[in-house]
Amino acid sequence: MEPSSQPQPMMGVGSQPYPAAAPYVPVPGSLAVPPGSQPAAAFPNPTQLSAQHQMVYQQAQQFHQQLQQQQEQQLREFWTTQMDEIKQANDFKIHTLPLARIKKIMKADEDVRMISAEAPVVFAKACEVFILELTLRSWMHTEENKRRTLQKNDIAAAITRTDIYDFLVDIIPRDEMKEEGLGHNPIVGLPPAMGAPADHGSHPYYYVPAQQVQGAGMMYGGQQGHPVTYMWQTPQGQAAEPPEEEQQQSA
Amino acid sequence: MDSSSFLPAAGAENGSAAGGANNGGAAQQHAAPAIREQDRLMPIANVIRIMRRVLPAHAKISDDAKETIQECVSEYISFITGEANERCQREQRKTITAEDVLWAMSRLGFDDYVEPLGAYLHRYREFEGDARGVGLVPGAAPSRGGDHHPHSMSPAAMLKSRGPVSGAAMLPHHHHHHDMQMHAAMYGGTAVPPPAGPPHHGGFLMPHPQGSSHYLPYAYEPTYGGEHAMAAYYGGAAYAPGNGGSGDGSGSGGGGGSASHTPQGSGGLEHPHPFAYK
Repeated sequence: MEPSSQPQPMMGVGSQPYPAAAPYVPVPGSLAVPPGSQPAAAFPNPTQLSAQHQMVYQQAQQFHQQLQQQQEQQLREFWTTQMDEIKQANDFKIHTLPLARIKKIMKADEDVRMISAEAPVVFAKACEVFILELTLRSWMHTEENKRRTLQKNDIAAAITRTDIYDFLVDIIPRDEMKEEGLGHNPIVGLPPAMGAPADHGSHPYYYVPAQQVQGAGMMYGGQQGHPVTYMWQTPQGQAAEPPEEEQQQSA
Repeated sequence: MDSSSFLPAAGAENGSAAGGANNGGAAQQHAAPAIREQDRLMPIANVIRIMRRVLPAHAKISDDAKETIQECVSEYISFITGEANERCQREQRKTITAEDVLWAMSRLGFDDYVEPLGAYLHRYREFEGDARGVGLVPGAAPSRGGDHHPHSMSPAAMLKSRGPVSGAAMLPHHHHHHDMQMHAAMYGGTAVPPPAGPPHHGGFLMPHPQGSSHYLPYAYEPTYGGEHAMAAYYGGAAYAPGNGGSGDGSGSGGGGGSASHTPQGSGGLEHPHPFAYK
């Protein structure tokens, strides 16, 4: 009852602008992007809201780009370090991983017949690099969530984010992969929407249309290039009415 | 060879024994399944030591993360070995070489690994040539590795896969991964997806009459995906017959709430326009 009663007062006030607002409802509703919180009773000036939203969006976008650049830089430094370490390697009798164990794992495949002595040596170094890279990518997710303990869901996030790790998806349960979605929320500084009660969920859906229209009007091009903007659009849920007025002005 | 034929477990290890003999390494016998399962993972102490080299000093590692990395490493070895072995079989060779391993890595997407490991292999061969005869040291290295068994953890379930199976399984995994990405992109990773329905052209036709006076706002609709938009319109159309007036609209909204949230909002707000259209 409460959600359905919401539109009636708005429709009663000023008949001219509100009939135009109604048609926007079903289109963004189909996207089902939940707002971060229920809209406030007071509606500030739409121009100020627009400027604030633009600023928040730009800051979130810059933060995301800076984060990506930092992570790419970390990986480049990682590979440079690996090359330097290999060039300085001088003791091949001490391996960080036991060769017999590697050989045994290789022989677990019954089709494997004979293995040259050099193959486990190369694998020992390869596994070392593999552990280092996977750990580094997992730690990036730990830092995004502002934690200091590397957890299994951080490894799951690294696996889902990196294409060459597709062969590991069976090792990570599905629920761990779902948790990976939470890791994206801190990127835009918004609280996670998971765990919201069903009743509370009805309100976000009701206010989704306005924010979607607003998002379309403000960043048509950016929408395609940055899926992360879906998360940013949730703050618009706080002001359902002013964005619609702005849309009418532009039309 | 004679001694191995007496033990049942040795039968399973027959290939391993032959391989070991060929490489000059001592054959190892493991009768207990628990030990064999344990041997399918890298020693956890070695794994942790390597992990810490790339982590800051204040970082902590949970136990389930340590075990997960152990499983990932074994899976990585099996994955690369399967591809390398397939190449050997195609070329009718019996021995997997270091070149086969590097080739498999480049084929399976680990291009960044090939250059460092190629350099490593090159230096290793220089080391072998300078130290002593090549025939002796390769045999010694595996034995030395065999003697080294530090802090083995309790066995964990590991996926056992063969070369052909690994190759075949890669495609569905890849597809599954992309499905997950698409799913997250469509629903923001947290939202409940709206009720799925078949695409309905009528849903597309509905907004046009309404859009005659507000054409520009609807220009944005395609960017949000027609399938879900059509599903929403379909839901709205389903509730249209029940919208006789403001009172009936309220009742319709309540009915929509019992099914799902999205149609509820859609039905409640949409009622004047579908009525006018029909």
